[in-house]
Amino acid sequence: MAETDFASAFEGDVPVGTKTPSALRNRVQDWIPATVAFIAVIGVWEGAIRAFDIQAFVLPAPSVIIQRFVETSDVIWSAGLNTLIEAVGGLVLGTVLAVLVAAMTVRWAPVREGLMPFAIAANSVPIIALAPIANGMFSITSPVPKMVVVAIVVFFPVMVNTARGLIEVDSAELELMRSYAATPGEIMWRVRVPHALPYFFSALKVVSVLSIVFAIVAEYFGGPQDVLGQYILTKANLFVYPDAWAGILVASILGVALYALTLLSERLFMPWHVSFRASDAS
Amino acid sequence: MRVVDAKGVGKTFGTGSESVEALRDINLTIDPGEFISLIGPSGCGKSTLLRLVGDLTGPTSGELSINGKPASQARSNRDYGIVFQKATLLDWRTVKKNVELPLEIMDIEDSAAADEMLDLVQLGDFKEHYPWQLSGGMQQRVAIARALTFNPSLLLMDEPFGALDEMTREQMQQEVLRIWDETETTVVFVTHSIPEAVFLSTRIVVMSPRPGQISDVIETGLDHPRDVETRESPEYYRKVTEVREALRRQEGHG
Ligand SMILES: Nc1ncnc2c1ncn2[C@@H]1O[C@H](COP(=O)(O)OP(=O)(O)OP(=O)(O)O)[C@@H](O)[C@H]1O
Ligand SMILES: [Mg+2]
Repeated sequence: MAETDFASAFEGDVPVGTKTPSALRNRVQDWIPATVAFIAVIGVWEGAIRAFDIQAFVLPAPSVIIQRFVETSDVIWSAGLNTLIEAVGGLVLGTVLAVLVAAMTVRWAPVREGLMPFAIAANSVPIIALAPIANGMFSITSPVPKMVVVAIVVFFPVMVNTARGLIEVDSAELELMRSYAATPGEIMWRVRVPHALPYFFSALKVVSVLSIVFAIVAEYFGGPQDVLGQYILTKANLFVYPDAWAGILVASILGVALYALTLLSERLFMPWHVSFRASDAS
Repeated sequence: MRVVDAKGVGKTFGTGSESVEALRDINLTIDPGEFISLIGPSGCGKSTLLRLVGDLTGPTSGELSINGKPASQARSNRDYGIVFQKATLLDWRTVKKNVELPLEIMDIEDSAAADEMLDLVQLGDFKEHYPWQLSGGMQQRVAIARALTFNPSLLLMDEPFGALDEMTREQMQQEVLRIWDETETTVVFVTHSIPEAVFLSTRIVVMSPRPGQISDVIETGLDHPRDVETRESPEYYRKVTEVREALRRQEGHG
């Protein structure tokens, strides 16, 4: 009897925000404004160039860029692939190192105290200035100097963010683990790492795009020719602007693809996260 | 053997002019199977005493033994189940996974334990939900289920029902009593509510502030099992009055 009373008292407890088809529909709706805006910008761009007869060296029309994008696809995608290898190589290298160092800051307070102020300061150093030096340090014909530059760019934000996520755990959660006599390793895997995942991914989302940008900028300083940076630079120097823009388009596509991949893995690794909850606003 | 044996236990936070003497000269013994409530005004050191027992902090004076061994040893032996004032569920785990957390850490293979405990707290239908999908009271019940899965010999609860409405609260009290009856654990329970303390406890430890001390220990002496009728009995009212007067007495002193 007491049993049924007890249960009935909780009938009102209906969970909110469970994922439903309407949540999916919302996600599709979320994309509509961005898509409309994108098409509008392209339209205005194309229209303006025709209306005001703007010269190609100022700004080529989207239709012209697309045309060159298709015609030169062999060359630009081959360059794009090489740039992507540099960017991803640097991204992986920088991320792996960043995560290792972040993990060390948890175990060894001196690492944290010695490194963190330096790392935060390093974040605001124009690391790209290192590119010519990196070119000199390694064989200029290899992708390694570019990877090193990208890795350095990636390292600091990922390290600082991940370390913060690992360290700034709710003290009550640590006490709970303490009450179970959990080992530091268990606290790491069961509390700190899951807690740090959102911090890690928010940094990764930023640097995944930056990795392409910085690989290209590093390429401007010389090295192999079959890369996007050199392609864009050469075409610009020859005043073949639609070709340069086609190269930029490839770079944008690669950047967006890396970003999308990061988003996807974020969802895969932390399906519980707040930002994926169906919003009941709107 | 005593479950809790505190001799002259004191706890001072910090040093020098900023130090706070939270507890002074606590002498308390708790036998197996008792249900002890700690009651007293805010800041009198109830949570601190509970945390000392659970080895979440250490005493600065006196001796404290749990199940005949130092508190730290008892913690290593996984003698404690703790329910904090805040549910403290891990956001990234489902309800069931949260309840299984202590089992995973303690390497206990008992696939049925979590389900049983969730049924016990009437959350069998919410196993695959995430904590943020539950109300505050439901989260607290998950925390209680989690503390019970590994059959701790000592259950420490710090105002576990603070966030619940009166009806739910009374039902949870009934549940905790039933669990206590069935599992024969010893319970140390912090509360602000006099009726709650009287209804649940075998003994009530009344504390006074600045510094925190034990001012009275009151046996409730009410029959078991306790139910709605207990709450309406004259003995129950007498005990409520007795505790209230004990609290008022030490207020007059302060
Ligand atoms: N970590 C700490 N550092 C310094 N002082 C503390 C700490 N924890 C508790 N205190 C002090 O110890 C005293 C007792 O605190 P405690 O939390 O045990 O009180 P309480 O009886 O549980 O109060 P409440 O009923 O409000 O929860 C308070 O004066 C508090 O300021
Ligand atoms: Mg307290």
